[in-house]
Amino acid sequence: MFQYALRRLLIAVPMLLGAMTIVFVAMRILPGDPCVAMMGDQATGGALADCTRNLGLDRPLAVQYVDYLWRSVQFDFGKSFRQGYPVSDYIGRMFPHTFVLVMASAVVAALVGIPIGIISALKRRSPLIDYPLRIIALLGLSMPVFWLGILLLIVFSLHFDLFPLIGGGDLDGVIAMIGSGEVLSYPWDFLRAVGDVLHHLVLPAFALGFTLAATVSRLSRSAMLEVISQDYIRTARAKGQRERLVVYKHALRNMMVPLLTIIGIFVAIALTGTVLTETVFTRPGLGKMLVDAIGARDYPLAQGAITVFTMIIIVVNLVVDLLYAVVDPRITFR
Amino acid sequence: MSRFAWLAICLVVLSALTVVGLVHVPDAAAQKKVLNIAAKEPDTLDPHSSTLGQSQAISRFMFRGLTRFAIKDGKVTTAEVEPDLAESWTLSPEGTIWTIKLKKGVQFHKGYGEMTAEDVKFSFERQISKAPGTRYGVNLDVIKSIEVVNPQTVQIVLKAFDPIFLLRMVGYQQGYIVSKKAMEKLGDGFKWNPVGTGPFYFDRHSPREKIVLKAFDKFVGGRPQTDEVNWFDVPEDATKLIGLEKGTFDLLYPEVVTADFADQVKKMGSIIDRRGPGGQERFYVNMTKPPFDDIRVRKAFMHAIDRKAIKETMYPGDLARLATSCVPPGYFGHVPMKFPEYNPELAKKLLAEAGHPNGFTIKNFFISKSFFYPKVLTLAQEQLKKVGINVELQIVEHATYHENIRKNLDPFVLYGGTRITDADAWLSLFFESTEIPDPATGNKGTNFAHYKGMDDLLAAGRVERDVKKRAAIYAETQKRLERDLVCLPLQDVPNQWARNPKRVSAPFSPDYGEFSLHYSYNYPEMLKVLN
Repeated sequence: MFQYALRRLLIAVPMLLGAMTIVFVAMRILPGDPCVAMMGDQATGGALADCTRNLGLDRPLAVQYVDYLWRSVQFDFGKSFRQGYPVSDYIGRMFPHTFVLVMASAVVAALVGIPIGIISALKRRSPLIDYPLRIIALLGLSMPVFWLGILLLIVFSLHFDLFPLIGGGDLDGVIAMIGSGEVLSYPWDFLRAVGDVLHHLVLPAFALGFTLAATVSRLSRSAMLEVISQDYIRTARAKGQRERLVVYKHALRNMMVPLLTIIGIFVAIALTGTVLTETVFTRPGLGKMLVDAIGARDYPLAQGAITVFTMIIIVVNLVVDLLYAVVDPRITFR
Repeated sequence: MSRFAWLAICLVVLSALTVVGLVHVPDAAAQKKVLNIAAKEPDTLDPHSSTLGQSQAISRFMFRGLTRFAIKDGKVTTAEVEPDLAESWTLSPEGTIWTIKLKKGVQFHKGYGEMTAEDVKFSFERQISKAPGTRYGVNLDVIKSIEVVNPQTVQIVLKAFDPIFLLRMVGYQQGYIVSKKAMEKLGDGFKWNPVGTGPFYFDRHSPREKIVLKAFDKFVGGRPQTDEVNWFDVPEDATKLIGLEKGTFDLLYPEVVTADFADQVKKMGSIIDRRGPGGQERFYVNMTKPPFDDIRVRKAFMHAIDRKAIKETMYPGDLARLATSCVPPGYFGHVPMKFPEYNPELAKKLLAEAGHPNGFTIKNFFISKSFFYPKVLTLAQEQLKKVGINVELQIVEHATYHENIRKNLDPFVLYGGTRITDADAWLSLFFESTEIPDPATGNKGTNFAHYKGMDDLLAAGRVERDVKKRAAIYAETQKRLERDLVCLPLQDVPNQWARNPKRVSAPFSPDYGEFSLHYSYNYPEMLKVLN
């Protein structure tokens, strides 16, 4: 298993290099000059030339590319063209917000999507159960996250005043307290800060999670349908086992492998979903940051963010592959 | 314990923590006067470095200039100035040496000491020398040298007489005074640790979330009534409106004020503060590009455009004013102009006379996908189609649009924006021959009409010291534009912020009681939080 993981990590290096090259080239091919984007209608010829020189964009492309790769190896993605912050610090501050959002929406998607998928598969011959569940799934697929987000804000934030309208809570404070060990000294303050983060997380996690739950439910429905048509399920039923046991003991366990595959895909979908969710709920995070960076032609920030996204997807898929063997002992690594 | 029991326990714990988060803990913060603003996040807090509206708006909270826009008869005007950080000034007889005496006791934030002539010299020289990141050095190119006479007196020598020098010294863009000590100590870090002399000082920045400013006790005009300003990064106007209704925000800086937006603000009992001169949306027609090199085609183009219909569709009622001149109102030198009236039949006739009886097609016309650009251009496209001018649109990113129009790829250009409020500053950028964009020479100027017909008047205006004569010169420039038909202004759109009057009061009338530039409130220290 260790050798397999090592081999996969080595394969990840050219993948990452490829992704970094593509994003470097794509940002340069994309029409629009970063200096013009920054200066807008105030751009004059002289000012543009100064700006281009100051940002190092007057150097040959090959030099810029090598510089970018060399710095990236040292986890130095340069400084944001626009805001001047070191990109690594910036990403470091945004990443936890996106991470908790993705995790929370994964919980919502799993809690909503997997049961719907399983029940829908098991009761596929019962239109009164299967059809409404499939309609719910279809609703999730059809409702854009920005629309659902605004709806949730109007109902639960504006009218019922149950949840905050903007922000991500004091996540920086939570992380700082963990880092400094103040968790033990001020446990109530820590719990209140965690509660605040969760309070801010409920609506965005539900909006993103519900739209993702639709995909999860459809994938788990088809996974369950495949499993329950297997011979060993028929055998279990023929032995006279109760249906509940057949599902929980035999079907669910064997459904885990396709479900793990879903999780791998889910992370990629969820990361793209954070873009709109973070915008609508005005949460700090990587997704919104990336879109703004591309729009502003902020090369270092966009390159850094995409590199991090690529790394996340590579790592998640590696973990998923390793987990296959945990949930299914028949799988071995070569 | 079964797996389901564990799951249930986890859910209970999470719910309990969420409830903890819901519990409101009253503290000293509740007693403070806090102003909550929803706008986009600035790209920097260095006032000399950003062209974005939100950055310039927040700069005014923290920085001041030697002069400020004058308050006359209860209104703020942009055509006249009065002393701010300066106490008085004199101009030498030949009109090139300004001796400026500074107010005593003006303090910088965070213990950086008293503002002196050294700070003034530094603030301007860093821009003139085009320090990396600075954007407005071009507005100070008139300065030849700056001498510190004593800590309270600075002498600025100009290359030639400049009629708008005091306007350049206004607390806006290049006019802001920064702390030399802070800039030298913090270097690049000044961008997010700004030190000025304004009514509020920078406290902290949570990226993509908010910027917190606090009242400056030693502000030269007295401590502001507001204790704290929270500047939230809220990109979506829909979220801003929900926040205004809910009470999360007191002031909104919207991306675009549509009729629907204005209605919603009104319905919730809030008001819109309108500030002139705002931005002017206008067409420049490239008089060197066929078929627009024929004045009859330019005239036909203008007869084909129904300006009132565009204005009413984009900004119904008082959301904007139909533009009356190529120099917007609120700028020194503005006079009303006459433009070809909407008359499609006459447009067709003129096109036929010019050899285009069936009209013509403009292929690959680039337009920005952002702001007002695509909507205005689509309306114009429909109107032009009626007279036979078919415009095939290519909608592109805003940055691409700016690049393409500087490569002269569009035969007519839709443009917006605000400048220093004087006809010279405005006309020099859009009609002086040195500003004609040319990819061959790398000139990326903004004279999109490729106009060369007023260089003499602009030169004369720059040396004229008599105010009335200057006004006459700029009146003549507008007559020439009327004659040559290279500019068609559509509407003057004011800066508009939404305000909850039950939470915040402003001293000037919401309806054009203030003229301002990129920011909306000239004097944010005068805003009062009511509860």
